[in-house]
Amino acid sequence: MKPLHRLILLAGACLSLCSAAQAQTATSQTADTANKTAAKAVTKKAAAKAASNSQPPASSAPSAREAELMQRLDKLATEVEQLKGQVAELKQQQAQQAAAATSAPVAAAPVAVPAAAPTTATANASQAVNGAENQPAATPSEPATVLTGYGEINYNRYNKDSSRDQADMRRFVLGLQHRFDAKTKMVGELEVEHAVSSSSDVGEVEVEQAYVERQLNNQLALRAGLFLMPAGLLNENHEPTAYYGVERNFVETAIIPSTWREGGLQMVASFDNGLTLQTGLSTGFDVSKWATDDAETATSPLGSVHQELQQAHAKDPAVFAALNWRGVPGLQLGGSWFSGNGGQGQASAFGGKLRVTLWDLHARYTLGALDLSTVYARGTISGTADFNTHNLGSGPDWFPIPKSFDGAYVQAAYKVWSWDDLSLSPFVRAERYNTRKSFADIGQGLTADAAPTEQAYTLGANLNVGQGLVLKADVQRFKQNKDNNRLDLGLGWSF
Amino acid sequence: MRFKLIDAASFLPAVAAATLPLTAYAVDYMSPQQAQQALFPQADHFEVREIKLDAAQMQAFASRYGVPARSASWKVLEASQAGKRLGWVVIDNVVGKFELITYAVGVATDGSIKQVEILSYRESHGGEIRLPAWRQQFAGKTAQSPIKVGADIANISGATLSCTHVTEGIKRIAGLIETARSSGQIGAGV
Repeated sequence: MKPLHRLILLAGACLSLCSAAQAQTATSQTADTANKTAAKAVTKKAAAKAASNSQPPASSAPSAREAELMQRLDKLATEVEQLKGQVAELKQQQAQQAAAATSAPVAAAPVAVPAAAPTTATANASQAVNGAENQPAATPSEPATVLTGYGEINYNRYNKDSSRDQADMRRFVLGLQHRFDAKTKMVGELEVEHAVSSSSDVGEVEVEQAYVERQLNNQLALRAGLFLMPAGLLNENHEPTAYYGVERNFVETAIIPSTWREGGLQMVASFDNGLTLQTGLSTGFDVSKWATDDAETATSPLGSVHQELQQAHAKDPAVFAALNWRGVPGLQLGGSWFSGNGGQGQASAFGGKLRVTLWDLHARYTLGALDLSTVYARGTISGTADFNTHNLGSGPDWFPIPKSFDGAYVQAAYKVWSWDDLSLSPFVRAERYNTRKSFADIGQGLTADAAPTEQAYTLGANLNVGQGLVLKADVQRFKQNKDNNRLDLGLGWSF
Repeated sequence: MRFKLIDAASFLPAVAAATLPLTAYAVDYMSPQQAQQALFPQADHFEVREIKLDAAQMQAFASRYGVPARSASWKVLEASQAGKRLGWVVIDNVVGKFELITYAVGVATDGSIKQVEILSYRESHGGEIRLPAWRQQFAGKTAQSPIKVGADIANISGATLSCTHVTEGIKRIAGLIETARSSGQIGAGV
């Protein structure tokens, strides 16, 4: 702000000179009644100053001294005008940087871009680097805290057993995002499942996400806290408006236990070639709490032993990494990998041999109205022989820990109709999944038999109303367990 | 305390992934000055122009371009070289999913989109809209083009709302420039 300081100093000098000049003029105009006239014409201070000065007698023509002062005043006035211009230009440039480096309110007018100085773009750029580069700073006009949310209400109607028909407020989620500063924010989500949560109800209240994120530079960000794991296509994008079908697909619920979250530290690196790497250390699964009499373990092996940062046993951290490439518009290719101690030092884990590994490969391609996607996911739990031997059972009600489980799906959707803000996208999805694909050998006659691979086919449509509301309908057919054949209807929203 | 992180064999992929080289060329965040230079590198002068839309123009805008004009008053930068007009730069903000995205659109004198630059992207996901391949989709489009995700603009998986909202913003700017040109507010004379 040197020009501003110079302006202030010069302005001060100007005022002094003006006072002196006025005083001198007053003195020269009325030599015999100097005190009286001066008191009227100038301030008391100037008058006193004039009176105290031993000035030469006044004359009708400006003296040489007066002329010199007038010249100096003219010169200073010119300089002041120049400096005013420079200050205005600086202020414009600062406003320009602040306005575009940050933001205006949602519905505000575009960033007001002051006139660029009539200099070369290079000169402007050099001044704009400071403060703007890497720092999309928050301004008072940008809301620091944002309320978000999503929810879904589903209806399942079974073909064979109407007693299973069910309408459910599947989830109601409120999210909060608060930005501390340009580089640092907190993201949180609070979820209520099945409408009511109490000791006598099946509902749950969960903190689904609660992490802080710090942007280190243009490529790197760090997250710490409870975050969604980067796996598959759905886990990190699980709002009902983001996927086809009333219910989430089986591969990304039975094999990848969406909504899967862990506590830990995550680095997110975005490369300029379209690659995004997410890697870090986190809590993991506690397989020691596996209940061999619980059928839920067969529905989702890892979903039954997740910890969700609920007093999570955390002797050893797990490690994870996900790599996605989005270098071609419309295309996403990626994979993820996770491995962690499944025993976490618990006595029931039998020597800490349990280890959970889960990986997936996925692809999605949207081309115009066409939307294609596929996921293959596979999980393994090693060191299960001791556990299953110790918890030996038999028959259909015995659910030992599987050695492996996997699944895959292919899905195609096509936007066939759109009008105003409505769009209709029918889709078809074919899935194969097996939550008990193999078991560790614990001896002939004792080792559990692998389960047959289930095949599920879903045919339905999403009707999107704007970008935040979706109505869904589909039918699902199962090859193994035909009792699960059903019709699904759903309502979802997200904002 | 023994601290067993992972089996050595299964750790190798993570090591390989983590040691990928980090590259950096400045297409990510940029200042308005950098954006205007990137959009019109040969320009030696930028001058602000204000575009005013009256009630009738505002009303016609939404039906003609499929997006609301949003504001009756816009400011654009007119780029010129040695007194010859090269085009306009419009800097705007839209909400992505939760946060604001600042972007700049360069429009040639014939109303076609020259280039798009992302100045700021703050969402946790979807930063790929900054990739040149995605932005390049808009080059050459005019207000008559669909400029719509799912039509002539491909989506980015996991960043649907960001893509949709930036695309709508660019469509709006293309319509704005065309409206201003046709009404003689900009583009008249040399």
